[in-house]
Amino acid sequence: MELEKVDILIVGSGASGAAVAWRLAGSDFTVLCLEQGDWIRQNDYPNSKPDWEIRARGEWHYDPNIRAWDADYPVNVQDSCIDPLMFSAVGGSTIHYTAHVPRFHPSDFRVKSLDNVADDWPVSYFDLEPYYDLNDEMMGCAGINGDPANPPRKPRSMPPIPIGEDGVRLAQAFDRLGWHWWPSDNYINSQPYRGRPACGCCGNSGLGCPNGAKGSTDVTFWPEAMAKGVELRTGARVSHINTDAEGRATGATYIDQEGNTHFQPANAVVLAMNGVGTPRIMLNSKSDAHPDGLCNGNDQVGRNLMFHPYAMVAGYFDDDLLTYRGPVGNMIMCQEFYETDPSKDFVRGYSYQVTRSTGPITTACGFLGGPLPWGESHHDAFSTRFGNSATMAIIGEDLPEPHNRVEIDPDLTDSSGVPAPKISYTLSENSRRLLADGIANAETLLREAGAVEVVATELLRSAGWHLMGTARMGEDPANSVVDKWGQAHEADNVFVVDGSVFVTSAGVNPTPTIGALAIRTADYILTERRDLATDR
Amino acid sequence: MPDAEYNLTPSDIVALGEILDRIVPEIDDLPGAGTLGLAHALDDLSQHLPRWRKALIIVAEAASLDPAARAAGGWPALEPDEQVQSLKEIETSVPQQFNGFVELVYAAYYSDSRVHARIGWQAGAPTDSRWDLPPWDPSVLETARQREPFWREAPE
Repeated sequence: MELEKVDILIVGSGASGAAVAWRLAGSDFTVLCLEQGDWIRQNDYPNSKPDWEIRARGEWHYDPNIRAWDADYPVNVQDSCIDPLMFSAVGGSTIHYTAHVPRFHPSDFRVKSLDNVADDWPVSYFDLEPYYDLNDEMMGCAGINGDPANPPRKPRSMPPIPIGEDGVRLAQAFDRLGWHWWPSDNYINSQPYRGRPACGCCGNSGLGCPNGAKGSTDVTFWPEAMAKGVELRTGARVSHINTDAEGRATGATYIDQEGNTHFQPANAVVLAMNGVGTPRIMLNSKSDAHPDGLCNGNDQVGRNLMFHPYAMVAGYFDDDLLTYRGPVGNMIMCQEFYETDPSKDFVRGYSYQVTRSTGPITTACGFLGGPLPWGESHHDAFSTRFGNSATMAIIGEDLPEPHNRVEIDPDLTDSSGVPAPKISYTLSENSRRLLADGIANAETLLREAGAVEVVATELLRSAGWHLMGTARMGEDPANSVVDKWGQAHEADNVFVVDGSVFVTSAGVNPTPTIGALAIRTADYILTERRDLATDR
Repeated sequence: MPDAEYNLTPSDIVALGEILDRIVPEIDDLPGAGTLGLAHALDDLSQHLPRWRKALIIVAEAASLDPAARAAGGWPALEPDEQVQSLKEIETSVPQQFNGFVELVYAAYYSDSRVHARIGWQAGAPTDSRWDLPPWDPSVLETARQREPFWREAPE
């Protein structure tokens, strides 16, 4: 049976796909979103189960290679020092993010002009500012104005999440050192907001939020988008984008959960599967017009993969402040070392995301590293850490390098037989030096705060939360995939709206920037691409 | 080598109890993980995660094949310091699986209500235990607010 043609077909329902759907909802465009995963019922989240910590290590793991749901796709990571983390469900990776949502700085969009590295973006911070505001309003941003490290902006939706006694202790240490700190911006409700409750501070919001206090797009954008007529079709795994003889998209082919293959026709396709999923599908979409994959005539699709390489520095205290109380990743942020410092041996900089601790099993097994020592020293190691730790996560700017890339693995497939991606990624010398500087400064801060022991993990393997750069935007069609509106250079009815379009990575979590770019692209479609609407 | 379908025998369970006591020894008035009776819990828990099951089987088998243990009449017959040495050798020979096994032991141990009582952990679903953090106090920003804006301007 031939499916009815839609105007705009979105692939992926996470941070970007949901934002586009919401912005286009209620317009003249008919909008359909295909999502390979399902809705997750809120009482299915691990945080509503007594064995939540055990579930987090298996069926709810961040890593799709470990979680291995049917909706997931495997990733060959043999040639990568970092494992990509993602989630396949309505809401995408906003289901398992910690909702820590700082914005890029103005300088992040001009690294070539300012520091002579990588490339400038074809948009500026101030181009994106109104879209950041819109995304914040929809997702619900808890925070407070006045941060001297960032430009002034509209008031946040609600006050910050309480930073707790452990946060105050660290804040005072920052103050004594004369270093910047500010309460984290979070898409977590500090008070009831848009029909969703306040956070109960129960702990690991990275496992999905059972009460809807965390702003994942299944509870923010999607209810409003669907109420205005957008269709969200779940269990629909896109295998490739179809194109005509001129190379323009005609729709997408997808496989449903019964294994049936369908062709969904559309006037335009919006790719929103993020920095690994989007290039995977583009590279899988070979045709006569696009023999090397969709819009890949310049061999740029999949290249310039950026993670944020993470180092973690944990401080252990001896005052039993029960640091597992409160959202795990959302206490304090520091941007003292965010900008290029000519006295250092690296360019660009990093943020600190100061995080809390978690439950006893995770403490003993290691949150993201290995387990604590066994044997006679175990109990001392456990009691030093449990409820007594604060961790400074170093989010360093990862600069684009063409050899870091997503390709199609010749053998690996997902559960529907669609070829799966292979990641090649090496850590640059600049990143290595940047992380070393971050570790040294974190130790200084934690000692100042009174830590009795400090332990650093120099590079966290299971930390590829942020997937960026693999279909980057730019003015020059020779070295970019999409233009400043997210419109592909090689097909004017293909748009990319996720982290793939990032030119550089900045040194902050990317979700608000992804959302802002997506809404901006939707506005471009609404105002400049009326030709994509079918006359009715 | 036994596969993941392998069922632990009664003698495996006895040996496992001894192994658990070496991995998580007694503390205060709480006996070690084996004496707490967690060997069966370990067997059950490992069924949830293939890598844990595999790790359990490999470590149990490695212990049963330890030459010193065989000479002594079984792993439980080893002296405690010999048992520790045996486990260190297994850790060296199959480090990844041994780490997985240790994770499994910790998962079982820190799921136990007696352990929760000792460490002061309130068990249950996180959503059942709302933490009342002190409310946000803007005065903590007094020093940070005094700093002049220092974000780097950039060309449009």
